[in-house]
Amino acid sequence: MSDVINTDGPAAPALPEAAPLPIDVTKTHVIAEFKHEFPLTTCRIDPTGRFVFAGAEDLNVYRWSLLQKTKDDDKTTFAGHDSWVRSMDFSPDGQWLYTGGYDDHIGIWRADDPQPKPVKMIEAHKGWVRWVRVSPDGQLLASCGNDNLVKVWSLPEAKLVQQFAGHQRYPYAVVFHPDGKRLVSFDLMGVIKEWDIASGKELRSMEAKFMWGFDQKFRADMGGARDMRFSPDGKTLAVAGLTDVTNAFAGVHKPMILLVDWDAGKHRRKLKADSYKGMAWGVRFHPEGFLVAVGAPQGGASGVLWFWKPDEDKPFHTVKLSHCGRAVDLTPDATKLAVAQFDGLLKVYQMTEKAAS
Amino acid sequence: MRRDIGCNAIDHAVSRRAMLAGSAAATAVGVAGKVLPAETKQLKTQQKRILQIFLQGGVSQLESWDPKPGTRYGGPFRAIETSVPGIRISELLPHIAQRMHHLSIVRSIDIKINNHKQAQLFMERGRRAGVFPYIGTIAAKYLAPKGAALPGYMHVTTRGLDDNTNAFLPAEYGQLKLPGAAAPENLKRPDKLTAEAAKRRNELRQRLSRRFSGKVGQPAFTDSYDSSYTLADKLLAKKGLFEGEPPARELERYGSHPFGRNCILARKLLEAGSTCVKVTHHGYDTHAENFNFHLEQLAEFDKTFCMLLDDLHDSGMLDSTLVLIMSEFGRTPKINQRYGRDHWGTAWSIALGGCGIKPGVVIGKTNDEGTEVADRKVDGSHLFHTYFQALGLDTTDYHDMPGRAIPIGDPAAEAIGELLS
Repeated sequence: MSDVINTDGPAAPALPEAAPLPIDVTKTHVIAEFKHEFPLTTCRIDPTGRFVFAGAEDLNVYRWSLLQKTKDDDKTTFAGHDSWVRSMDFSPDGQWLYTGGYDDHIGIWRADDPQPKPVKMIEAHKGWVRWVRVSPDGQLLASCGNDNLVKVWSLPEAKLVQQFAGHQRYPYAVVFHPDGKRLVSFDLMGVIKEWDIASGKELRSMEAKFMWGFDQKFRADMGGARDMRFSPDGKTLAVAGLTDVTNAFAGVHKPMILLVDWDAGKHRRKLKADSYKGMAWGVRFHPEGFLVAVGAPQGGASGVLWFWKPDEDKPFHTVKLSHCGRAVDLTPDATKLAVAQFDGLLKVYQMTEKAAS
Repeated sequence: MRRDIGCNAIDHAVSRRAMLAGSAAATAVGVAGKVLPAETKQLKTQQKRILQIFLQGGVSQLESWDPKPGTRYGGPFRAIETSVPGIRISELLPHIAQRMHHLSIVRSIDIKINNHKQAQLFMERGRRAGVFPYIGTIAAKYLAPKGAALPGYMHVTTRGLDDNTNAFLPAEYGQLKLPGAAAPENLKRPDKLTAEAAKRRNELRQRLSRRFSGKVGQPAFTDSYDSSYTLADKLLAKKGLFEGEPPARELERYGSHPFGRNCILARKLLEAGSTCVKVTHHGYDTHAENFNFHLEQLAEFDKTFCMLLDDLHDSGMLDSTLVLIMSEFGRTPKINQRYGRDHWGTAWSIALGGCGIKPGVVIGKTNDEGTEVADRKVDGSHLFHTYFQALGLDTTDYHDMPGRAIPIGDPAAEAIGELLS
């Protein structure tokens, strides 16, 4: 294991030509399916579109190729964490994979390593590393963890360069603003904080208390972000999670995607699927202006993909999943998406008509 | 693997019923409850007692006493070394890990019950079926010294069912429930009721009770009624235990949260002479977000419990105090789609230590994935015998009831001999 990360990796292969078919989410269909024997915890597609990665409840991260036809067994194992990985991100060129583990560590890996070993494991937080994100320019890595801290690490050295204290309860997710100068974190209690990276100061704190609930009977707090993304123009923050908690211990609540008008610091819209009880586990902004989100139900197995227009209360299209969805991610060309499921299935969908064979 | 994911609503029902109906009418307002050093010393040498910590809802054995990291159902938490070489417990219990030499673990409990209430009854009564006294009642009946200054069985809990804890034994041995560390309601005599008037009222009540029981021949009715006044009298005499804020140093050590305050009160009650003090820590029925909730709940339990354990040890009381950390059942190895674990009575654990218990011992084991007991299967009846034989009570003996003899422990079971010191 080296202490210095060499960024001079091999060049990424060129992406295949984008599908000529126009995006039509009503025609969303499965184009690939990978089965793993353990429930999946998350998934990401790398920025080159070559690979899809998934964390699993067996403590490992797995990689499948999106460019070649593969079988379930054609996966590469990234073993190095002693606990679950719930968050991953990449360098902008796709050469490096960063994993946040519930073993308090951030793992740094060569994303295309044929026999992956962690290049570095950083003891990043006292308690779970809940989230990791790479800055838009690839120079910084942000993390948050169960020590209630948000940290910023320089890349490629992975040295701690900034630390933000202020959350009173666990920060669940952290994200860079697209301007690269600010960082946003969201905690268990629905508190959103904006941090200035250069000065290390808290810029703003706002609340989304409706994404938290206190269960009076069991005297327990439930809330937090399960995913968080900025729109490419930085004007809107989308937070996936829950609302209307009525029984925290039985998981009785509703999913919610909160949209925040970031400059104004106001809640722009609360997207709810009223007939659905459960959790929203993932959200992405699609370049064509709609949102893709994934959910898992309170009971049963009917996970769901939601397609939402940001200014409409109800999803304009839904796709039923074969089991609970736990994360969603888009390919770089935004024609496809991957969903990690509780039943160990990693599914890749195409959001166009089926290509003529 | 069979799971029971549904909780009966009554199992979760909140009950804050007034602790002592009519206690305002009780008359004795005696000395404050400050324990004198001599009194403590006598307790240390003569009285045996129980501290029962009940992790209500079913703590996960995989996140506590029987971790299986890296296995199919192991979950995200790691196992850590303890002060006893070879014994590893969950990383969620770092303070207990440092004090493992005071405790032992039973990892092979199979009660075959996945219902909160039925499981709790089995674990408390030591009987799978039938109405029998709870652990605390047995302690109050057989271990409490005559003329004990406090009720023998006190339960500090912020919620819970009103149980028939004494069963066929006199009501005075039943649980006295305290709804937290604050002074119970009605502990103060109403201003308009003079001490003399209260005394006369109580004497009248006693006369009427005697007349009623003599005529109708149902003393149990009036015994139960009278015992509530007797218990109230004892409590009133020790009302100083509930007065004032705990010192800042104690709140810092135990935590200022309700469980911390309840454990400070538990220590004071034990020091003041109560024979069994039960403290319930709620919040383990984690059908969803099991790992996030155990992270928070066990962090609170671990440190607070260890402060109480330290204080018992440092005062010399641990040798005469049986310490039980138990639940009604454990949680399923299988992790459900909500990151929860469900009810699981099939292969789970408790921890215990103190009086009569060999420390640093692990009894039994589960299989590699924690789905079955692999060795030394025991249930609530074996544990019941073990608790009381550790305290020197012959559980093969009988309750001496008018006209009948009822075995104290289940005659079909026996104590876990390897645990007894």
